[in-house]
Amino acid sequence: MGKMTLVASVSLACLLSAATIAVAADPGTEDPNNWPQYHRTSNAWRYSPLDQINKDNVSKLSVAWIAQGGDITMGIQETPLAIDGVIYSTTSGNRVAALDGRTGRELWSYQPKLDPLTKKVLFAPYSRGVAVGHGMVFIGTVDGRGIALDQQTGKVLWETQLTDFAECHGCNFTSPPVVAGDVLTFGSTAGELATQGKIYGVEAKTGKKLWEFNTIKNDPKSWPGESGKYGGGGAWMPGTYDADTGTIFYGTGNPGKDFINTDRAGDNLYTDSILALDAKTGQLKWYRQEIKQDVWDYDSPYEIMLFKKDGKDLIVHMNKSGYVFVLDKNDGKIENIWPISDVKNFVKDIDKKTGELIGRVELPMDQETLICPSTFGGRSWNSGAYNPRTGLWYNNVLDFCGYLKPVAQKDDPKEYGTGHTGSNDFGRLVLAPDGRKPGRLDARDPFTGERKWTYEMEVPGFASALTTGGGLAFNGDPLGVLRAFDADTGKVLWSFNTGSGMRSGIISYAVDGEQYILVPSGWGSYAALLLPPLFPQLQNIPAASTLIAFRLAK
Amino acid sequence: MTRWLVTVAIAAILITEVAHSEENVPNLKDPKVIAAGHDLFLAKQCAHCHGADGRGGINLTRRELDPKGVFQSIADGREKSGLRMPAWRGVLSDEEIWQATAYVLSISQQSK
Repeated sequence: MGKMTLVASVSLACLLSAATIAVAADPGTEDPNNWPQYHRTSNAWRYSPLDQINKDNVSKLSVAWIAQGGDITMGIQETPLAIDGVIYSTTSGNRVAALDGRTGRELWSYQPKLDPLTKKVLFAPYSRGVAVGHGMVFIGTVDGRGIALDQQTGKVLWETQLTDFAECHGCNFTSPPVVAGDVLTFGSTAGELATQGKIYGVEAKTGKKLWEFNTIKNDPKSWPGESGKYGGGGAWMPGTYDADTGTIFYGTGNPGKDFINTDRAGDNLYTDSILALDAKTGQLKWYRQEIKQDVWDYDSPYEIMLFKKDGKDLIVHMNKSGYVFVLDKNDGKIENIWPISDVKNFVKDIDKKTGELIGRVELPMDQETLICPSTFGGRSWNSGAYNPRTGLWYNNVLDFCGYLKPVAQKDDPKEYGTGHTGSNDFGRLVLAPDGRKPGRLDARDPFTGERKWTYEMEVPGFASALTTGGGLAFNGDPLGVLRAFDADTGKVLWSFNTGSGMRSGIISYAVDGEQYILVPSGWGSYAALLLPPLFPQLQNIPAASTLIAFRLAK
Repeated sequence: MTRWLVTVAIAAILITEVAHSEENVPNLKDPKVIAAGHDLFLAKQCAHCHGADGRGGINLTRRELDPKGVFQSIADGREKSGLRMPAWRGVLSDEEIWQATAYVLSISQQSK
C-alpha cells in the first residue's frame, strides 16, 4: 500500500468513524457502535446510544439484509452480537455463524457434533447466544461443553466438558458464558432437573476448569434429609460481570421438585437467589435469596442490572414472580422491592424491607390451585431494556395465571424427558381473573416501579426489548410484529411483519456510518408448545430462524 | 449339517425376538393397555405439550394417526415445524411405548 493510499485510508476510516454517531462516556454509552456482549454493556441495560434512527425517521426503516440460521427447531432464541461490523449468531443445535454486518453474507460457520442424548433431554437444542473475547467466540453447548472458536475463522481452539451430562438429568448450557476478565463463567440448567445445578469458572485462553460453585448449599437446615440431592437450582441465563469489583453476579433457578416442598422444609439455598461470586475463584461474596422455598417455579436467573444512583451502587433485578428487587451491589442489602404487576396471588406481598414472603399460598397435593402469575412468570426470561435518557425500564409483562397441581413423582435423573417438577404439567394456563389483557409492554422507573406508560397486547410479548439513544423502544410479539415505540410516550411509530414470532433479542449496531436494527425472528421454545390453548392465535405461527437487519432507506 | 440347521434356527429365533419387541403390537384397543398408556402419558409429562386430555398446545385429538407412526414418534422423538418432542427409546420400554401409543390413538380421530 502506498503512503498516500495509507493516509487516505486512515483519513477515510476517521471520517467514517466520526460519522458513526456520537460517543459519550456516560454509563451504557460505551462502545456505541457495537453490541459486544449479551446485554450490550456490563450494566445489562440493553441500551444502544445510537441515534441515527430516531423518532422522526423510524418510519423510513427498510430491510437491509436477511440471513437464515439453518435448523428452525425451537425457533431462534438468541441475542446476536455485533463487533466491528461482524455479527456473531447462534441458532438451533449450537450452530455458530459470523456474518458481514453490512450485507449478512456468511463469513464462517461452525456446528459441533452433539451427544445423541440431546435428543432425549428437556432443554435442547436451542441457545440464547455466544460470547466474544480474547480473539475467541465462546459457546456453551446443549450437551454441557464449553467451546472456544477462533474469532476470525471459526476453527475450534479448545473444548471442555463441564457438566456430567448423562448423569445429571441432561443438565447443560442454553445460554452463553460470560467473559469475566480472564475467566469464562458458565451457568447450567437445573431447576426442572433431578440434579444440583452448578456455575463453572474456566480459563478463557485454555478452557481449563478453574472452579465450580454448587447452587445447592450443603446445609441440612436449608435442605433437610436427602432433599438437596436433586435440589435443582442452576443458573440458566448469563450473569453480569462487574469489572470494578471482579464480581460475577448470577441469578439462580428454582428448587426441585418445583411444586412440592414437603421434603425440603428449609430455605432451599441458593435457589431463586442472586449470587455475588469472585470471578477468579468462585468464592461466594454474598447472596440474596428472593423466593424462599419456592413452590411456584419462580426462578431468579433474569438480567442483573447495575446502576449508580445518589452515591449508591445498586442492582435492579426481577425474578419470575414479577417482583423487582433493588439491592446494594456491595452486600445485597435491600433498598426496595416492587411488583411489575398486581396480577399476583402467590403471596399477599413481599416485605419491602426484609424480603419476607407475606401470606404465601401453598399447593395441596393432587389438587389444582390457581396461582398468579403463571409458570411463565410476571415476565419471561426475555430481558427488559433501560434507557438512561428517559429513565424508564421497558418490560414485556405477562398478566395471566395457571392452575398448579402437585402429584407424587419418583426421583430419576435418567428420566431425561420428564421434568423433576412433581406434576403432570407446567400448569393449566388461564387468563387473569379480572379479565384484563394478558400482556403489555410497560415503561417504569426501575427503582420505584412508577409506571409512565403501557401498551396492552392481546398476545403477550416474549422477546427482549431494545431501547436507543434515538428515543425509541423496540419490541417484537409472538405473532411476528416488530414495533418501534416513542420511548417517552409509548406511541407506536412504526411496525413491520417479520413473518414469524419473536422470542429473542433485538439489537442495534453501526458500521460504515450507518445504524442497523437487527431482529431475530423465529417462533419456538416451550412457549410455542404450551401457549396455544390460552392463545389460539399462536396455533399456526410458522417457525423460522431468521435475522432481519433494518436501516434507514436511502 | 444338523448343527448348522440348529444354529440357523437359533439365529432365526433370536432375530425374531429382537424384531418382535417393536413389531409385536399389543391389542391397542384393550382398555387395560389404554389405561396403562394414560398413566404413562401423565407420569412422563406428555401433558405439558399435549394437555391432560390431549387437547393441549400440540392437540392430538384432531389428528388421524397410525400406530407405527405414533410409536416411532414417541420412540425416536419428533422435530417438525420448529417444534420438538424428546425421544423416549431407552427411557421407556417398547411395551410402554406401545401402551402410550394405544392411549394416543384412543383420543385421536382414529378412534372416532
